[in-house]
Amino acid sequence: MQLSLNEDQTQVLDFVDSLTRPYAAVPMHDTSFALTSDALDGALMDNGFLDVMAVEELGPVTAALVVERLARLPFAVEAAVSSLVRPLVDPELPRPVCVVEESALRKPVRFLKPRASVIVVGPSGVRSFTASEAQVRSAGEEVLYAYPMAYLTDMPADARRHDVSAGEVRRALRVAMAAEAAGLLAGALASVTTYVSERQQFGRPLATFQAMRHRLAEAQVLTNGVYWLALRAAGTGDSGDAAMALLHAQEAAKKVGYDYHQFLGAMGMTLEHPLHLWTYRLKALTSELGGRGANALAAAEAIWG
Amino acid sequence: MDFHWTEEQAAFRQKLDDFLRAELPDGWEEFSKHGPASPALTEFARQFCRRLAEGGMLFPHWPKEIGGEGLGPWEQQILAEVMWEWGEPRGGQYMNVNWIGPTLVRYGTEAQKARYLPQIASGEMLWCQGFSEPNSGSDLASLRTRAVLEGDHYRVNGQKIWTSYAGLADTCFLLTRTSDDRKRGITILLVPMDTPGITVRQIPSLIGEGDIHEVFFDDVLVPATQRFGEEGQAWEIIGFLLTNERLGIPRYHLARAALDRAVAMLKQAGDFADAMVRAEAARCAALCEAARTANYAIVQKRVDGLPVGGESSSARFATVMAERDVCAFIVEHVPEALAGASAYLQMHHQRGVVAGIAAGAAEIQLNIIASDVLQLPREPR
Ligand SMILES: Cc1cc2nc3c(=O)[nH]c(=O)nc-3n(C[C@H](O)[C@H](O)[C@H](O)COP(=O)(O)OP(=O)(O)OC[C@H]3O[C@@H](n4cnc5c(N)ncnc54)[C@H](O)[C@@H]3O)c2cc1C
Repeated sequence: MQLSLNEDQTQVLDFVDSLTRPYAAVPMHDTSFALTSDALDGALMDNGFLDVMAVEELGPVTAALVVERLARLPFAVEAAVSSLVRPLVDPELPRPVCVVEESALRKPVRFLKPRASVIVVGPSGVRSFTASEAQVRSAGEEVLYAYPMAYLTDMPADARRHDVSAGEVRRALRVAMAAEAAGLLAGALASVTTYVSERQQFGRPLATFQAMRHRLAEAQVLTNGVYWLALRAAGTGDSGDAAMALLHAQEAAKKVGYDYHQFLGAMGMTLEHPLHLWTYRLKALTSELGGRGANALAAAEAIWG
Repeated sequence: MDFHWTEEQAAFRQKLDDFLRAELPDGWEEFSKHGPASPALTEFARQFCRRLAEGGMLFPHWPKEIGGEGLGPWEQQILAEVMWEWGEPRGGQYMNVNWIGPTLVRYGTEAQKARYLPQIASGEMLWCQGFSEPNSGSDLASLRTRAVLEGDHYRVNGQKIWTSYAGLADTCFLLTRTSDDRKRGITILLVPMDTPGITVRQIPSLIGEGDIHEVFFDDVLVPATQRFGEEGQAWEIIGFLLTNERLGIPRYHLARAALDRAVAMLKQAGDFADAMVRAEAARCAALCEAARTANYAIVQKRVDGLPVGGESSSARFATVMAERDVCAFIVEHVPEALAGASAYLQMHHQRGVVAGIAAGAAEIQLNIIASDVLQLPREPR
């Protein structure tokens, strides 16, 4: 057991931090529901931060650390699937990369757009293709998630088959989603603790009310749990670990999604405060891989058969 | 006890439903995504409420002397449920029905009643509620918007925030400070929104356009005859109107309707066979019905003429619990609902997520339950 960051990992995270510093705050007057930046995306690619898993001395734990760190930003970046799933399928797939369950075409797909790479997982195995204009249907102007999203309308019959198993891709996807959720939980928590420490009612900071302190402290415990479960799942490559990590992440997302908006009062209903940039990404992640029930069943299956 | 509606009550609900089915335009669900305070819905509500008034369905529970039909609290609840389930086609005028009307009747001067009641009764008047301020939300009694009497006018300076309908309202039901006594220094003014010195800014929100605003008052002159109640009587009047307002929106009913709709979508997609999903949906249904019965128990108290205390906070929090889990169920199992696939569920989400905040934050309700219902000793100050 060795749970501290090694030198390489520290260095990678320091690089990530300095590269993303200009993106740590929301641009003035921005009130969009989802915030993205092509410049940030390009910089991450150019510096190889989304390809660390294949580097021998870095590997999946470092990739998960990078994904977690990036998710703390108010900007939505397609990092999780590119970093942790793509290497198993084809490291050369052009980004953004989306994963779709064959049976779940009704659900909106994060980061899908024409020319995105789509990995399809289902009973017939793992396939991939590049989405055409015709295969992508916009979700319209009013999407209430803080990710760019669209619908996949159909799958080409001649999609490329890959050797990797569907189970293995799902395992990696669970790690990816859990690592992303860990960062989102941390970003949202920081945003809320800052607000309630400054906001005063009844002559004292809101954060001094024990009713709130306990719920925030519990959120810290959950956030910390998701962080470690995600990293462990990345490190062990175990299916049970991966399913538990995502289950725990989705449980946490459900709880804080309510609490955090609650703690901000009406301010949490505005687009002028950035909280939604984290919570409305977490909401989208709660439906991934079938949600809490499905991931709980997957965990039970992996652990006890 | 009898948990069934009487024939008359069932017929009343049916009549309302039929009316809405006939009167609401094609594409209503899509349209109802506009928040209750949006310009589009407000404009629509002006026409719609006039027709409701003509049909005797705007204030069926009001006494006959002031233009109502003299029906009781159960009918008021049925009316509120049907309207909210349909996305509240009355827009902001629901407030007139729930608390502005009754409060005017109870506390208004004859001149005020003569001026406002007919406009309200004809379905043509939109109010806004100027209570919250940037530094006074849950701690409402700390509000600072000043009103100073100068001859026969009050001069008002200050700022309100989160004001629904402010952009389009005719009149603001405004809380002002007339002396430094925390609660007894608050006075209500009825302020026409076109008075010089009032500026309204819309706040971009995640619950739909046009919903919440900031309102600035710069040397706004309000005739003293527009004072509502006595100087310093606001706190008592708010107590009266909030008990009306707190039960006002039957959110549990829309939550249940949204849950049923979500399950219908899952069934259609062939995804409602999963035992985990079914159990989760049933848990949500139980929360909705627990909230419904808690609310109905309070309606019963009103029917019996009994005072309503902390149990209205209990009913309200039961509703928050239902909305919290129904919103989460939909996001988890029907995520497409918030990405263009269901106008109805999007409408529900945008209205459901404010359940624990609007009209008083849930944690304050919990404090009231703890002290007034459980009679727990209070935290030392
Ligand atoms: C959609 C919407 C419409 C609204 N419309 C109107 C309107 O028309 N007119 C109007 O005047 N206002 C309106 N409001 C404002 C509403 O009344 C306030 O949001 C509400 O009273 C809470 O105040 P706040 O937002 O300032 O939150 P705060 O008071 O800052 O509270 C933030 C959080 O702290 C918690 N908290 C506060 N005190 C305590 C305590 N003692 N112990 C534990 N926790 C505590 C709260 O419960 C909440 O979770 C609206 C709000 C919304 C969301």
